[in-house]
Amino acid sequence: MIQKTAASSDAAIVEPHIAIAARNVTLSLGEGKARVDILRGIDLSIEEGTTVALLGPSGSGKSSLMAILSGLERASGGEVNIAGADFGTMNEDQLAVARRGRVGIVLQAFHLLPTMTALENVAVPLELDGQPDPFGIAAKELTAVGLGDRLGHYPTQLSGGEQQRVAIARAMASRPTIIFADEPTGNLDGATGEKIISLLFERQKATSATLLIITHDPELAKRCDRIIELRDGLIERDSAA
Amino acid sequence: MSAELGKAWTIARRDLRGRFAGLRLLIVCLFLGVATLAAIGSLTNAITEELANRGQAILGGDLEIAVAQREATSDELAALKQAGTLSETLRMQAMARLPDGSDTQLVELKGVDDAYPLYGKFTLESGQSVSAPQPQDIYVTPALMQRLSLKTGDKIDFGEASFTISGIISEEPDRLSEGLSLGPVAITSLDSLRATKLIQPGSLFESKYRLKLPATAIPREVGDRLSEQFPNASWEIKTRDDGAPSTRRFIERMGQFLTLVGLASLVIAGIGVGNGVASYLRGKQGAIATLKILGADSAMIFRIYLFQIMAVAIGAIALGLVVGALAPLAIIQIAGDVLPIKPEFAVYPLPLLVSALYGLLIAVIFALPPLSRAKTIPAAGIIRGEGKSWRQIDRQSWIGVGLAIAAIIALALGTANEPLFSASFIGAAAAILLLLTALGALIRWLASKAPRPKHPLLRLALTSLHRPGAQTGQLVVALGLGLTLFATLAAIQTSLTNEIRSTVPRDAPSFFVLDIPVERADEFRAKVAETSQDAEVNIVPTLRGTITEFGGQRVSELETLPEGAWVLRGDRGLTYSATIPEGSEIVEGEWWPKDYDGPPLVSVDEEQGAAMGLKIGDSLTVSLLGVEIPTRVASFRKVNWRNFGFNYVLVFPPSVLADVPHNVAATIQLETAKEDSLLSILPQEFPSISMVKVKEIASQIGDILDQMATAIAAAASIAIFSGIAVLIGAIAASRQARVYDSVILKLLGATRAQILTVQAIEYALLAFLLSMVALGLGLFAGWFVITQIFEFTWQPDWGIVLLTLGIGAVATLGIGLLGSIPVLSAKPARALREL
Repeated sequence: MIQKTAASSDAAIVEPHIAIAARNVTLSLGEGKARVDILRGIDLSIEEGTTVALLGPSGSGKSSLMAILSGLERASGGEVNIAGADFGTMNEDQLAVARRGRVGIVLQAFHLLPTMTALENVAVPLELDGQPDPFGIAAKELTAVGLGDRLGHYPTQLSGGEQQRVAIARAMASRPTIIFADEPTGNLDGATGEKIISLLFERQKATSATLLIITHDPELAKRCDRIIELRDGLIERDSAA
Repeated sequence: MSAELGKAWTIARRDLRGRFAGLRLLIVCLFLGVATLAAIGSLTNAITEELANRGQAILGGDLEIAVAQREATSDELAALKQAGTLSETLRMQAMARLPDGSDTQLVELKGVDDAYPLYGKFTLESGQSVSAPQPQDIYVTPALMQRLSLKTGDKIDFGEASFTISGIISEEPDRLSEGLSLGPVAITSLDSLRATKLIQPGSLFESKYRLKLPATAIPREVGDRLSEQFPNASWEIKTRDDGAPSTRRFIERMGQFLTLVGLASLVIAGIGVGNGVASYLRGKQGAIATLKILGADSAMIFRIYLFQIMAVAIGAIALGLVVGALAPLAIIQIAGDVLPIKPEFAVYPLPLLVSALYGLLIAVIFALPPLSRAKTIPAAGIIRGEGKSWRQIDRQSWIGVGLAIAAIIALALGTANEPLFSASFIGAAAAILLLLTALGALIRWLASKAPRPKHPLLRLALTSLHRPGAQTGQLVVALGLGLTLFATLAAIQTSLTNEIRSTVPRDAPSFFVLDIPVERADEFRAKVAETSQDAEVNIVPTLRGTITEFGGQRVSELETLPEGAWVLRGDRGLTYSATIPEGSEIVEGEWWPKDYDGPPLVSVDEEQGAAMGLKIGDSLTVSLLGVEIPTRVASFRKVNWRNFGFNYVLVFPPSVLADVPHNVAATIQLETAKEDSLLSILPQEFPSISMVKVKEIASQIGDILDQMATAIAAAASIAIFSGIAVLIGAIAASRQARVYDSVILKLLGATRAQILTVQAIEYALLAFLLSMVALGLGLFAGWFVITQIFEFTWQPDWGIVLLTLGIGAVATLGIGLLGSIPVLSAKPARALREL
């Protein structure tokens, strides 16, 4: 069992206040002739509390890099340390446990559990983590994203924007060190998308979490502290916004 | 661990929340399977329990001592009276005649004493509880009243006595223990029966002595004591706990067979459970990946969905149990008259528990593999939009499946009366399942290797059989099992129907005639010839006796009888003959010379000889009228039991039995038109005879076979329903892929008819291949049931079997195409947005 307070086994790539540390991360899918190298050696270090935009054309490896950094996928090679945990050495189940309270994820397609109410959706990660009063925390978090009057609504009874707010509340509820957002406005209209982004930054500021956001939108990228651009599985540019 | 279980249960419950739609197939299949098993178990239990509860009334006492062709001696009577309260009855077949001789009818004539019945009530239709009728009075059943157009107060003659009908029998309490009756029942007093003069040395009658024992006496012990006191009495002793052993054996055997058919239905239902669970979990892929993103590990995912599936399964099982437990109530109401005894309705926990366990184990066996795969759905799949990443089943799940299979086998064998039979049934069912699974894989492989047809529709149909995500495997198993069942049922039904038809062979006699006085045998032959010149009369001596010793073993000292040696049970017909009897051939040893007068010999039926383990030269002792006759086995005969003649297991040389008082029996074969006149003439001339019309026996046997066929069809139809549910489930599971195909084909210009043709070709290919396989498997299964379980002749109607299979194949094809209609109606633009 990995404790989220556990110290990294690899002190070499982890310094204090570093939320994300990756060294020479590679990802290949398939074997033999069918093998595709998606990430070809990523070195990255992101400080706690920073907001980072991850840009790049389709197929550049943005989503794959996010999947590895958020512990959804294991890298083929290299080292990954997330909020003090060595993700590179963990199996899938250990990664699932390590994500609890450490990582919050917001996805383009919301991915709410359709059979559960907004409140229950937000409470689930807290319950899995064994936190006390999961429903109390979830209710506060939903109120914080402006859905205090929608606690008992099912996803199908909510608009797209509301569903994404629930997803943000769910990602924030366990006060994770890092929030990953994969094109969070991709399924929303412009005005709603704008509101969602504002909410995301507002919540990030309120919780002092690190925010890594995948986007195609240069304007959105400019709102971040740092912009990283990927191309063909490599970091092409890494600059302050 | 318990905290983890608590979390899993909370999420499982919340996620499920009454939305069972995805698990409909699991609910239907488990419900059908468990309800069938519970109904069969409850009904069998109800009947056997009723037999046991009413044991005293059915037997007519705590202990019954029966003896053939004689009444008890005064010493025996004294001993019986000392043991408890005694009731005596005599029973025989006799011809009832109208006083004017215009009509006759074979009747089970029974004489009872004033103590009758010791237990239960002998009631008349007037509602009156009675005992023995007054002298010269007789009580008869409605069937006899109807047959001879009688009314209360009319006269009726038996032998040399005339009776007045003074009541109509409503309930004869010991009817079931009296065994098969060849005609309606009439009951008079003992003395009145004796007054008919039908009871003569050598005539075929049975005396029964029922005892009401003191409360402290143990019937079995009293019986053993009496046997020891009269070792040569040739008594057949029954106790109240098993008053109707042959009925009980029949019910238990039928119950066991139907339970196995029910279990087979449940296994088919299990495939539906597996498909239902797999398709439900496929629908949950997104939720599973989301839960993983939120921190659920694979063990948590496994627990959440195991809880959900088991909760729904338990609900379906509970529903099945309720319906199964109530089913006997409906069966008793609808078909109570065809049951050997009408049981009281009660809930029987044991068969319900066994059915629930079967249901639960089947759910575990078929749900574990998809559950095991589902827990490996990667969280990253959600980002990539993957749906394919279903992995291998892990070792723990295989162990779980193995343990559940072992538990099912143990349960089936542990609750079986004949474990070997159950084991072979389970083995055969498992072999059929494996064979169909292998066939599914083979068809996929062959379809992938076959040359591509030039016609695009044909090419598409062929590739549909083996492309990734194709449901060919499930369709082959579901369709294969369904069609196999159709073929099996058709083979069993037609074979039983032919059995009924051939029960009476063309050259079968028209009548059996019993109790012809031996000295009037020639006169009898002449009388028949007067009525019909062409009539064939075959006369054989007939005696009854019991085997008391064989191969050096006393039968009374055996704890259990050797398997299949039914000849050792009670008294049996015996005969003597100087020549080899008609319908028999010697297979070992030699027949005695015509004028043989040496030491007593016997010729034995080869099957019964083998069951008793006899060899040529072994000793065999029979007891006749209380006298033991030791003999040696001289030969074994193969007996054609189906020729409807007089066939005997034991045949002796005339020198051994000719001096024992006996009558003769005859078979008469004559044209149908003359049957009725013979039936009215012979009983007038020979009052002691009983004439049995062969057609009437055949119709009784036909009725029993018909009922058996109906019970089998009813139990198996549940299997067919399950098969159809599985088929629909498999078609539904492949619907998404088919909608995609259909939409793309429409985009490319295909019409709906063309799309339907692709699917028709695919299903037709499968249906054709599987019909061939089902024919082979179904015929084998049918042959096994007919020849090995019921021990009948294998004579299916090939035309009907093929027609049934054809209809089954077309019906399944139709169901498949009906299932495709929603696919055809998919609107390309909308579907493309959603897919």
